[in-house]
Amino acid sequence: MDDLLNEFLTETGESIDVVDVELVKLEQDPNNKEVLDNIFRLVHTIKGTCGFLGLPRLESVAHASENVLGKFRDGELQVSEHSVTVILESLDRIKEILAGLEATEEEPEGDDTDLIARLDAIAEGKDAAPAPEPDTIEGEIIDPGLGRVLKPGEVSLAELEAAFANAPGPDEADEAAPAPSAAGTSGAQKSLFERVGGEDTLAVAAHLLAQRLEKHQELGKFFASVDAEQRKGRFMGLMLALYKDDLDAADNVGRQLVTVSGFSEQNFNTLIGLVKDVLVECQVDGDTADEAVMSFELVREAVLSASKAITKAETNKAGREAKSGEQAAAGGESGKRVSQSIRVNVDLLEELMNLVSELVLTRNQLLQITRNVENSELGVPLQRLSQCTTELQESVMKTRMQPIGNAWAKLPRIVRDLTVELDKKIELEMLGADTELDRQVLELIKDPLTHMVRNSADHGIETPAERIALGKDEGGTITLNAYHEGGHIIIEIKDDGRGISVSKLSKKILEKRLATEAELAEMSDAQIQKFIFHPGFSTAEQITSVSGRGVGMDVVRSNIEKIGGTIDMQSVEGKGSRFAIKIPLTLAIVAGLIVKAQDERYAIPQISVLELVRAAQNSEHKIETIKNTPVLRLRNRLLPLVYLNEILGFMTREEIDARDNKDDFIVVAQVGTFTFGIVVDQVFDTEEIVVKPVAPILKDLEIYSGNTILGDGSVIMILDPNGIAALANSSAGDHEHEEEKAHEEAKKRTVQDEKESMLLFRAGGTNPRAVPLGLVARLEEIDISSVEQSDGRLMVQYRGALMPLILADDNMALKEDGRQPVLVFTDREYTMGLAVDEILDIVEDKLDIKLASDRPGVVGSAVIAGKASEVIDVAHFLSLAFADWLKSRDMADDVAPSRGVSLLLIDDSDFFRNMLKPVLTVAGYEVKAVSSAAVALRLMEEGYMFDMVISDIEMPDMNGFDFAREIRDGSRWAELPLIALSALATERDIARGHEAGFDDYVAKFDKETLLRSLSQQLKIKGDAA
Amino acid sequence: MSSDMVVRKDLNVVTTGSQDYVTVRLAGQTLGIPVLGVHDVLNAQQITRIPLAPEWVSGVLNLRGRIVTAIDLRRRLGFPPLEEGKVSMSVVVEHNEEPYSLQIDSVGEVLSLDNQLFEKNPVTLDPRWREVSRGIYRLEKELLPILDVDKLLAFESKDKAA
Repeated sequence: MDDLLNEFLTETGESIDVVDVELVKLEQDPNNKEVLDNIFRLVHTIKGTCGFLGLPRLESVAHASENVLGKFRDGELQVSEHSVTVILESLDRIKEILAGLEATEEEPEGDDTDLIARLDAIAEGKDAAPAPEPDTIEGEIIDPGLGRVLKPGEVSLAELEAAFANAPGPDEADEAAPAPSAAGTSGAQKSLFERVGGEDTLAVAAHLLAQRLEKHQELGKFFASVDAEQRKGRFMGLMLALYKDDLDAADNVGRQLVTVSGFSEQNFNTLIGLVKDVLVECQVDGDTADEAVMSFELVREAVLSASKAITKAETNKAGREAKSGEQAAAGGESGKRVSQSIRVNVDLLEELMNLVSELVLTRNQLLQITRNVENSELGVPLQRLSQCTTELQESVMKTRMQPIGNAWAKLPRIVRDLTVELDKKIELEMLGADTELDRQVLELIKDPLTHMVRNSADHGIETPAERIALGKDEGGTITLNAYHEGGHIIIEIKDDGRGISVSKLSKKILEKRLATEAELAEMSDAQIQKFIFHPGFSTAEQITSVSGRGVGMDVVRSNIEKIGGTIDMQSVEGKGSRFAIKIPLTLAIVAGLIVKAQDERYAIPQISVLELVRAAQNSEHKIETIKNTPVLRLRNRLLPLVYLNEILGFMTREEIDARDNKDDFIVVAQVGTFTFGIVVDQVFDTEEIVVKPVAPILKDLEIYSGNTILGDGSVIMILDPNGIAALANSSAGDHEHEEEKAHEEAKKRTVQDEKESMLLFRAGGTNPRAVPLGLVARLEEIDISSVEQSDGRLMVQYRGALMPLILADDNMALKEDGRQPVLVFTDREYTMGLAVDEILDIVEDKLDIKLASDRPGVVGSAVIAGKASEVIDVAHFLSLAFADWLKSRDMADDVAPSRGVSLLLIDDSDFFRNMLKPVLTVAGYEVKAVSSAAVALRLMEEGYMFDMVISDIEMPDMNGFDFAREIRDGSRWAELPLIALSALATERDIARGHEAGFDDYVAKFDKETLLRSLSQQLKIKGDAA
Repeated sequence: MSSDMVVRKDLNVVTTGSQDYVTVRLAGQTLGIPVLGVHDVLNAQQITRIPLAPEWVSGVLNLRGRIVTAIDLRRRLGFPPLEEGKVSMSVVVEHNEEPYSLQIDSVGEVLSLDNQLFEKNPVTLDPRWREVSRGIYRLEKELLPILDVDKLLAFESKDKAA
């Protein structure tokens, strides 16, 4: 009985969780038959099992809710918020009883008559009206705009009437609710098996059944395929199993009972009717017979689904397996119970995983040993062992992986309850629910996640009235999103609520003396907002029952950090908050490249390694330095390098440079979009490594992602390319880094100090010339003999197309023979080559143009790497190459003297940013260029101020029009002159631009007009001031 | 031999309240570590260095498939490093369910010490020691400070100490 009860508790618990979720779904989509069927079936099963186990309290509650669900299913009742609330309440009651059951193995005392009465009332259609219960608040929201009462998802009067009219009387001989009271309460001590009359009676009954079924009109065809003896055997087995409480066996036998498709609920009812007749004939007394027949309900599922499975197999043999697998996973349809699964204790899995890890290590060790032994007999079996180990390892890993959706399963219910309790409208969006992660990690993040969603719902989302007043949609949205990113799982929790109020927070911080006023004044908004992670911090003004129980985000954070994760937050007051949890996939087994630096070995995760390059003094690849910055020419790209020896502090750069025999290996690694080379002393092979987390004291060392034990038993550290990239070059890297940096330097005007990578070359003279490296697509050396003349212009066939070739200087000439260095510029479909005499160097320097030039093709002169260099105007050459690219004109004289005026340039095209920046710089502006409207808005929030903003129109995510509206809509930058820059410059576009709030609208390629417009706007601004 | 004697003699006083300690030698000083906290005592091990780690972390070592962080107790307690050519021994303890190996010069014996011999740290004790010493036993020949392993390994707040 203990085992049975245990099994029952686990299974019922799971079913209830599913019902919770499904009910919320149903409420949103009341016509979803599938969902309704699923709920009904689950509740029905719970009820059936309770009756069987003699749990009257549970059974009566389940029965009452099943009744209501049955009415929903039959279309006699409409699904309403109220009825769902009551059913959810009954589920909670069931959970309560289950908890009691678990603790004491007995049903706890309690009175459910009130709940049952309400359920019954709903079932009878009498009580779908506003709830009599105080805890089901039917909110009335006064729309401030309309001044009338809004009804949040209530049942309309008309519906009520209809429901009432449709409700049949109190008598419902529903097939789904047989014998609720007769079973279980009495005589549970003596087993059903004995009361029925033991094996003899069952044998007779089974025999009779087998006989009768053969000739039975309705059921005959289902049993015709097997002979009477077999049939008898099956019924005998089924009854034995059922009456001896062996549910697993009953389930199995039940599945084999009907081997023909098309067996319906109705058929099953007829069958159990027949069983009852037979039992009564065998002199089983009425009550016992009823109970015996009732127990058949337990296999109803099995019998029907087995028959259904056959149906499916017949119609779609190929698709069946996959589908039923899916269904089982989704807890979906009837296919669920067909899937072959067993419950396994989690500890056992854990142990299995550890053993497999050990096995992998030992295998590696063995392989290492045999590698040194020639002609070993061990070779073949070892290979087999190795393969099996790998497969075993993969399978065991799989058993531990679970979709994150499992951790989210409870959230819809929680949010739904909150909406009722808090009188808010909240939609919960869940993306990436099938992202898999280790179940151990999953368990650990469950609670923090729940807590955060509660927080978002409680503190984040405003009430509908507030939202309407703010011009937002009445309903708020909480979005959960999970995805994999480079060995980590990122879970985002976003809401579009009120965000975190910096001023409120500051007050609180002062109150709690966590910081002084002076300290706060120094901090950025983001820094202040991070205080919510401080222990014992709750920002809600009032402590509600929902969140704010004194434990706050600090608990969430420490829980996440416990599993080696991080949590980050961005919040904009009035717009909402976004939390991002980053959890490493520890425990994972990965392929690692083993490298050496200074006699120590390290592993680099293979996943971030692109390729390996060997560099030596005399080889094709050699490491060059540009003012102490080591780079490698790799397929016409310059690859920034870092020395592992230097990063790990083994050697200084001088020592590295002073080595005699430079023979290095370069591991080309990619982090996000940033590619760089890690120079190591030696590269060994790739090994499967079990990533073990580093000890807590080493957590701060971001260049390690873990450590591992190699085949030879030695421990090595696993390098984290992310950390290396961050350590080596904080300015390099993806936009994240760029933004991060911008963030740190908030409020400090650093525009002037920004460095640019410049390519230096020589053309028609000895002075170096420079061009922003970002503009250069490729560096090529073109065979002079392949240069052709066409239409009086130089052309070269390049990558299957004709590319115009322009001389960088009028005074220079192409070489007579050999190869000519060429800079290739690409802008959209335009590609041109700029022939130069010699490529000199690449330097990173501040682009500070001292002297503007009026010579075509030259932006001006700047001191670069200590030498005066002419910065060329790529736009000029592009226009030479393509007449339609942009009309070249001399720079206008009427550009206002504008030194010291700061500009923000927003353009998603790297090319334009890089091109316009020098042009604007030379005109005397201080330019900050960013790649998207979002980044610009962030700058605004961080307190940057500019004199003017130039924005592209066509941009992903947020286009220029939206951006302008955002800015004009009462933001800090609302008063700034705003200039639109776009390739689309039709009148309509211009009108649209003005409408959105742009002061001027300039065609993208018209440098001169842009400059003129800038000075004009500046003048207007000056006049106004 | 002598250790046998000591243990046996002190077994008699177990009833009157005593504690068991493993003694270790560190730069001429004897220290006690509560015996129940000691998981393993190992001879010289191959230790992998961890560049950039705090200097009192000597590295990591492999203990039967577990990765153990090795703490250089000499550095942690402000002693000079071990002379060239000498190798250290390891005493493996656990802190917050993480294994740590304390690198010491040599392991002595297991002593069962009467509670009456125990005394609090003298207030004049070197602060670095006071922090990690539970107290001191007055032995016949010498004084035996007892290491508080948990405090010793509670790095979070003391990163700067070393």
